[in-house]
Amino acid sequence: MEYEPVKIGLPRALLYARCRVLWRAFFQELGVDTVTSPPTDREILERGSALAIDEACLSLKIYLGHVQALLGACDYILVPRVSSFGRHRSMCTRFESTPDLVRSVFRGSDQQFLSYDVDEEMEGKSEEAAFLELGRALGRPPKAVKKAYKAAKKAELGHHRERVRRQEQLLKREGLKVLLAAHSYVAEDASMGRTVTDYLKKAGVIPLRADLVDRDAALKRSKELSPTCKWEISREILGGIALLRDQVDGIILLSAFPCGPDAMVNELITRRVKGVPILNLVMDAQSGTAGVETRLESFIDIIRFQRGEL
Amino acid sequence: MAEAKTRSVSFPRYAEYNCAFKYIVEQALGCKYVMPPPLTKRTMELGAKYSPDFVCTPFKTMLGNLIEALEAGADTLLMTHGLCRLGYYGELLEQILRDLGYQFEFINLSEYDMSKKKEYLRIVRRFNPKVNPARFLARFLEGVRMVEYLDEITALYYQNCGFDAMDGAYRRSWQDFLTAMYTAQGRADIESAYRTVRRAFSSTRLDKPQRPLRVGIVGEFYTVMDAFSNLELEQKLADMGVEVHRWMNVTNQFLRYGSGQKNLRVKIRDLCQYDMGPTSTANIWYARECAERGFDGIVHVKSAACTPEIDVMPVLQNIGADYKIPVLYLTYDAQTSDVGLMTRLEAFYDMIHMRKKVL
Repeated sequence: MEYEPVKIGLPRALLYARCRVLWRAFFQELGVDTVTSPPTDREILERGSALAIDEACLSLKIYLGHVQALLGACDYILVPRVSSFGRHRSMCTRFESTPDLVRSVFRGSDQQFLSYDVDEEMEGKSEEAAFLELGRALGRPPKAVKKAYKAAKKAELGHHRERVRRQEQLLKREGLKVLLAAHSYVAEDASMGRTVTDYLKKAGVIPLRADLVDRDAALKRSKELSPTCKWEISREILGGIALLRDQVDGIILLSAFPCGPDAMVNELITRRVKGVPILNLVMDAQSGTAGVETRLESFIDIIRFQRGEL
Repeated sequence: MAEAKTRSVSFPRYAEYNCAFKYIVEQALGCKYVMPPPLTKRTMELGAKYSPDFVCTPFKTMLGNLIEALEAGADTLLMTHGLCRLGYYGELLEQILRDLGYQFEFINLSEYDMSKKKEYLRIVRRFNPKVNPARFLARFLEGVRMVEYLDEITALYYQNCGFDAMDGAYRRSWQDFLTAMYTAQGRADIESAYRTVRRAFSSTRLDKPQRPLRVGIVGEFYTVMDAFSNLELEQKLADMGVEVHRWMNVTNQFLRYGSGQKNLRVKIRDLCQYDMGPTSTANIWYARECAERGFDGIVHVKSAACTPEIDVMPVLQNIGADYKIPVLYLTYDAQTSDVGLMTRLEAFYDMIHMRKKVL
């Protein structure tokens, strides 16, 4: 069967870092084209900040900038709602509000948005059910959609496993290792985490990611550090710290100002994780790289000094 | 573990609901209730000092007040679960208090799966292993009744107290009602206090114009209701001669509508498709309701860094634009001053007052 060609815009922010393989594979299976906004730059950041409520987190401001960059470049922009994957497996409420928030902010444009809703805890809606709905909204037959989701999920898991495997190899390497504890959309954003990892590499440090671990194992191990932590991503990071803390020389808690979950979880981490140096780094829209580099430099010096290398 | 009889339970100050917490702890659970001291500047200083910087303000308020409750002799602290960051308050509050060196038992509802009925009995038994479930339930429901009366009377009070023509009689009846609630020992006390205040309210002469200024209050669940936290916003507006309406309270949010609020969402489908946060649907619905009922203004109240309420704001901005209704956005943090608030409220009042004359 032939379908009208449809192009879907993927904003390169928030869930993109986590779901890009799933989304791309899913749409590809269904013969739907995608277009992605460019990596975050000054302009995206400034435009997003102008669109957002002042008090919103930097990640949302960046996200709105990416949505804006896609306006008119596609038939639909994908803005999912992901509320929870079960009890103590929630997302920050911002992931609940994004579709309606985006529609409210851009209601003056004639851009169409496409959404899906994952809400296990309150509505009993799984990711699979959400994607079935998404496929139906695109007019594809349920059977094809189901197949596409299965294939896409497999690709996503395979991709994650591969990244975990590559990180395990990095762990075996000699050298100073620092664990970056950050939400994937912070760690992988060109204006936030990338500036940190680039600097670390330049300084001869091996940056590792707390969330690049086996997710099931991480969820289990997160309980050791925080038994009632309710956020899926925070729990993966907590679990990653529990799994890797003995194999790294320092931990950087990297957060986007003012991240709700991080404000609490990172406080708890600094109170409970002892015996390894921790740097609490908060990125805001004003962060020039100079300030960040100074702090990273002194952090690395402290670690080297502790190891007797300075 | 402390013996059931000697357990001294506390929960932070929250609007005037502590009378119901006290009633339930004492009458239903058979423990002693330690009323935490009223919230003051000291509470906020204590809370802000030991809290992480950008946690939402109610966390700081509660931390400060829990320290004060421990100083007042509490040995068991209760913290609730919740759908936003509130659901993580418990664990972090406990950790901070323990790091400070306090000793206490901590009952954190986030540790229980509150979707399972069996868990409730486990929680009750932790307070007092000898509790008789049937008796507990009966007395608990009396406490719930107290909350309903409190919310009903509070709503009436702020709608009318600004027009009292009898030199503060309305306010005195309200304060007498609160005193009666804080000292109630049984069902009869609750019912009689309610009847008394209803009678007093209806016998107080009001000097209300035909079309008074009406302002609807929406916002975050803690700050919108707690008079200390919102710097007596409702009283201040009422004192300017405004009819103050607020839907958001425990009765409406939990007892009448429960979780999800699907039936409220129906009416705002054009504004939002999903729940955007724990109180978003009710707030958006009520703001639209105020606009449609021809209110003169809306005030949106939230604590600094309240994620769900920040996200509701773009929708409220659209309501404001569509219905040409002024919306005042107030954010409260540990430093917000009375004078600053008063200036903004006076300007807001002048504006809606002038509009009313012109329109």
